[in-house]
Amino acid sequence: MHNSFTKLHGRVKVKTTAQQEEEKKKEREKKLKIYVAARDACFAKRKEGIKDEEALELTQQLLSSNPDFATLWNQRREILMHLETIKDEDEMQKIYESELHFLESCLKVNPKSYGSWFHRGWVSARLPRPNWVRELSLCDRCLSLDDRNFHCWDYRRMVVKMSGVPVEKELEFTDRLIGSNFSNYSSWHYRSTLLPLLHPESPDPKSSGDPPSSQAHSHRVCEEQLLKEYELVQNAFFTDPNDQSAWFYYRWLLGRADREEMISCVYVSRDEERVVVGFSRPVNVNVFILFVEVILECLAVVLLFSIVLLGTIQWSTNVNVLVFRSELSVEKTSVLQSELQSCNQLQELEPLNKWCLLTIILLMRALDPLRYEKETLAHFETLKEVDPMRSAYYSDLCSKFMIENTILKMEYAEVRVFSISDKNLTTLCHLDQLVLVTHINLSSNQLHRLPLQFAMLQCLEVLEADSNLIENLEGLYHLPNLEEVLLRNNNLQPLASCPKLKHLDLRGNPVTLSDGIEAEIKALLPSVTKLLL
Amino acid sequence: MLDKHADYIAVYGSKKDDYEYTLSEYLRMSGIYWGLTVMDLMGQLHRMNRNEIVEFIKSCQHESGGISASIGHDPHLLYTLSAVQILCLYDCMDALDVDRVVEYVKGLQQEDGSFAGDKWGEIDTRFSFCAVATLALLGKMDAINVDKAIEFVLSCMNFDGGFGCRPGSESHAGQIYCCTGFLSLTGQLHQVNADLLGWWLCERQLPSGGLNGRPEKLPDVCYSWWVLASLKIIGKIHWIDKGKLRAFILACQDEETGGFADRPGDMVDPFHTLFGVAGLSLLGDEQVKAVNPVLCMPEDVLQRRGLQPDVLS
Repeated sequence: MHNSFTKLHGRVKVKTTAQQEEEKKKEREKKLKIYVAARDACFAKRKEGIKDEEALELTQQLLSSNPDFATLWNQRREILMHLETIKDEDEMQKIYESELHFLESCLKVNPKSYGSWFHRGWVSARLPRPNWVRELSLCDRCLSLDDRNFHCWDYRRMVVKMSGVPVEKELEFTDRLIGSNFSNYSSWHYRSTLLPLLHPESPDPKSSGDPPSSQAHSHRVCEEQLLKEYELVQNAFFTDPNDQSAWFYYRWLLGRADREEMISCVYVSRDEERVVVGFSRPVNVNVFILFVEVILECLAVVLLFSIVLLGTIQWSTNVNVLVFRSELSVEKTSVLQSELQSCNQLQELEPLNKWCLLTIILLMRALDPLRYEKETLAHFETLKEVDPMRSAYYSDLCSKFMIENTILKMEYAEVRVFSISDKNLTTLCHLDQLVLVTHINLSSNQLHRLPLQFAMLQCLEVLEADSNLIENLEGLYHLPNLEEVLLRNNNLQPLASCPKLKHLDLRGNPVTLSDGIEAEIKALLPSVTKLLL
Repeated sequence: MLDKHADYIAVYGSKKDDYEYTLSEYLRMSGIYWGLTVMDLMGQLHRMNRNEIVEFIKSCQHESGGISASIGHDPHLLYTLSAVQILCLYDCMDALDVDRVVEYVKGLQQEDGSFAGDKWGEIDTRFSFCAVATLALLGKMDAINVDKAIEFVLSCMNFDGGFGCRPGSESHAGQIYCCTGFLSLTGQLHQVNADLLGWWLCERQLPSGGLNGRPEKLPDVCYSWWVLASLKIIGKIHWIDKGKLRAFILACQDEETGGFADRPGDMVDPFHTLFGVAGLSLLGDEQVKAVNPVLCMPEDVLQRRGLQPDVLS
């Protein structure tokens, strides 16, 4: 567990002579004696239940050098609470004022001590006549020394809440901090919590695009304010294009509310006794099972009539419209267009700026994913070159976009063939959109595995996945209709079990080198009639 | 070097009269957990004084059921978790009054689902993690209101997909580790926006290969662990450059004394030694045991307790 262990950070190791070492040792022994005596005196007082000013004095000595000694703060609180029972309000006001004074000196020495900040909050709340204005100005001073001190930011939020500082005032405060230094992630973060409170997204579904939901409201910002905010962020990243704070914030501003949880697809097969349900968002498995029960009830009537005729029932929403505006919001195209222009301008000045490149990609996708496909791919290549440490991230993101584009290109949702070979795919996603696909071609990509989500492809009969880096077939365990699997030139070790599998091509895999492999496969997969090793 | 690291830890625990050692008494229980865990990961747990440690833990359990950092200190969730983790390593949970530990944890849950660290009421998502980690190790998760606890942690999710100490607090790698760990133990990882959070986390890697805990901060071995473990939990560990991180962690070793520091050239300590070695383990180093990213304990210890926290694939 991590806790207040700040003292162990950033201590540079220095070489010392034997004599210096000896002197230091003596010095430490002396300090140890004093420290232990003071600690024992505090503990003794507490054990005897003595809650006097001397105990306050003793704990103060220790805490001023070691503010992480949490038990001593507890002891002080016990003493202070005891004093409340024997002193009048004015006296307590004075005692607590001096406690705040002491705390200020502690915070000067160690501005990142959890114990000191918590105690300050505790004292401020118990003060007979609290002075929140002073507390707010303490935060101002502290943040002017270190504008990223999260303890102080959290204390500030408490003060703001206790004293009812209006949200506008706090937003102005972040204006000031950002105005003096754009590179201030803490301030941008604070804005992300304040803006939706002050300028919530309009409840009118016409202007927001999506049907309103409580969740969308609490996190999104109205369009008029967004436009102003874009300007502020652009000032920031034109001033310092390498400062990540503004870019993170910008991606959030451009983003859209989470999609509402809904069922995107249901597939029921009587022959295989299976129900497949696709959701718009990841769901918990327990909830999932509950959902299936509900759906089965709802569909019962439909099933009675249709199964007789078809054997299966399929239903899915119009995927193309719903799914792939996923990253960015639905503002007017003209706004996104002008944002893209600004970023393109910046990119001309800073052709290798990764933040700008990534943002351009996201904007292009929001505007027209297919029209910009070529440029997007080129930008991804540049990204991987200028930021090789994160090339796997860019590859995965690019794979996701390529899969989305391929789905978009399928003219009708009913198309049963999904082909996406030779696109440098490193990951598979959106498989829930492909429930009805019978033939999938993933050949010549960089896939390491067929994920468990492959189980969504309940109608799949033919899988082509030659020339990838596939290591195992865990994703194929639950595919009842699979008839042909092509897995030439991969990295396969173990084997899967599919009852209908007839044609299996495993040439060029390490697994083919092991003894008795043919007999083993035939035992595992009795229906395979064409086996290529 | 592993032998040197083990020597460093073995000796560290024997310098009880040292000034610096005494100053850190307020976190002793966690200190012992760090030391023992790294020893276990290196296959050297037998070098530590088991009886002495178990007796020490017993003497730190209070009336309330909670456990303190050391004798004479007050109980706290931080040290309650550390004590339970140590007893898991030693496979002797019966040294504690387990029912009372469970009562203690339960008693610290607030109406909004959050957890106070102790009876004084400091609220932090770290304590939400401590609470569910303690209960998971004891097999008593149902003692608390898990739904409420989840609700609170999710209310601390930010615009960048990360988590802070309390609702409205800025994202921080240490808190993200606690919150993703919490969501793993409560089976709620599907609530995380793994693509967004994973991007923020992999952007913590700096040119030196080390990871920082927040944007524009210095790299540090312990943040390397928190970021790396979080990435592992959300299934995106491949988004950082493993080779460069490994080189950074190895550069933080002190080749003379053993042990790891926060950054190359700084003083070593048991805290960074654990997170250095645990980081190497997550990166696939086969000289040390496999570490669990959620509980930062050897996988074999958790298997013994029948515990396998979720991670996204």
